[in-house]
Amino acid sequence: MNRRKFLKKGGMVLSGTVCADGLLLLTSCNPSETTKENRLSRHKWGMVIDLNKCKPECTACMEACRQENNVAFHGDKRWDIHWIRKVGIQERHSENAGEKMIPMLCNHCENPPCAQVCPVQATYKRDDGIVIVDHHRCIGCRYCMIACPYNARFFNYKDDPDWPNKSYPKRSHGVAESCHFCAHLLDQGKRPACVDTCEKIGVKAIYFGDLKDPNSEVSQLIADTPLKRIRADLGTEPKVYYKGL
Amino acid sequence: MKVSRTMNSNTKRIVVTVAVVMILLPLGYSLVSGAFLGTSDSSQPFLERPDPKYQKCVRNTEYMRFHHMDLLKQIREEFVRHGNRDETGFDSCRGCHTSRERFCNQCHNSVSLNLDCFGCHYYPEPTFETANLRKRGSR
Repeated sequence: MNRRKFLKKGGMVLSGTVCADGLLLLTSCNPSETTKENRLSRHKWGMVIDLNKCKPECTACMEACRQENNVAFHGDKRWDIHWIRKVGIQERHSENAGEKMIPMLCNHCENPPCAQVCPVQATYKRDDGIVIVDHHRCIGCRYCMIACPYNARFFNYKDDPDWPNKSYPKRSHGVAESCHFCAHLLDQGKRPACVDTCEKIGVKAIYFGDLKDPNSEVSQLIADTPLKRIRADLGTEPKVYYKGL
Repeated sequence: MKVSRTMNSNTKRIVVTVAVVMILLPLGYSLVSGAFLGTSDSSQPFLERPDPKYQKCVRNTEYMRFHHMDLLKQIREEFVRHGNRDETGFDSCRGCHTSRERFCNQCHNSVSLNLDCFGCHYYPEPTFETANLRKRGSR
């Protein structure tokens, strides 16, 4: 074997191994193999609030939320926390300038600004679309409160001694919190406390369901009726829809 | 010259005796206190035995003694971030170890650990009086 032949054969062997390795790498990077099937990603939770049925003076959902999630209430607006609250909104530049009371809660955005700004990834979006706070990680910097366009986030300035629901933890002083669609109840196959209560008192202004399921009540409402989302122009893609806004 | 040398050896003897006594004093104290006070030594934490109807823990005792915090963190990660809420947690701990004061805090206090788990997670005081106090590790 002369020098020319040796180099030719060596080059062939080398290129062969490189190609084989490349093929192996490509097959191992196949996304269908690496992404794990997640139990949560089967659902995408969403809410529709019918403002024609919701009474302006009714606060049943707020009370139910407080009782279920141990939301702090001190009787002082500086420290009170509301996961769901009634907000008066007024349409600008319109003749019928009447104020409308709407229940406001965390909109569980598809692109949550609070999760983007969180420096410790304490706020994150679960695979079922719920924006949730890991209070163990929260350092209390309050960036999420600044980032949230809906003012749905609140900070625990003080500890609340009341503990109505012992099976659900409280939040200690120094962490931010917001509505999480009662994720602990959803995981058990139940519905959020506000939805249950609204139905129990006979109003049924809040509909809740799976947006991925085309036959669910919420999906059909979204498909059939004209619904509005608050500040949809911001591109946050909220999952709380309002009927008659 | 000779007198000063004897004086020196006497002082030396006294110094050595005092030093030996000083060194052995803690040992003697612990021996004496052990003999007279016995098991009521306050430096030993007392762990309440769980309700007798529960036969075993989720892991063995040795693992739980040294690594219960790792297990709890692992459960927390699954619970909070992945939504797997069927694992064991504080809820199942407090089914057997009814008193935080007489179980968790016993060791944590003796090593000066201040935990803030129970500021948010409910861990009740016992509803019944359990008299089955056992010394640590006697199970």
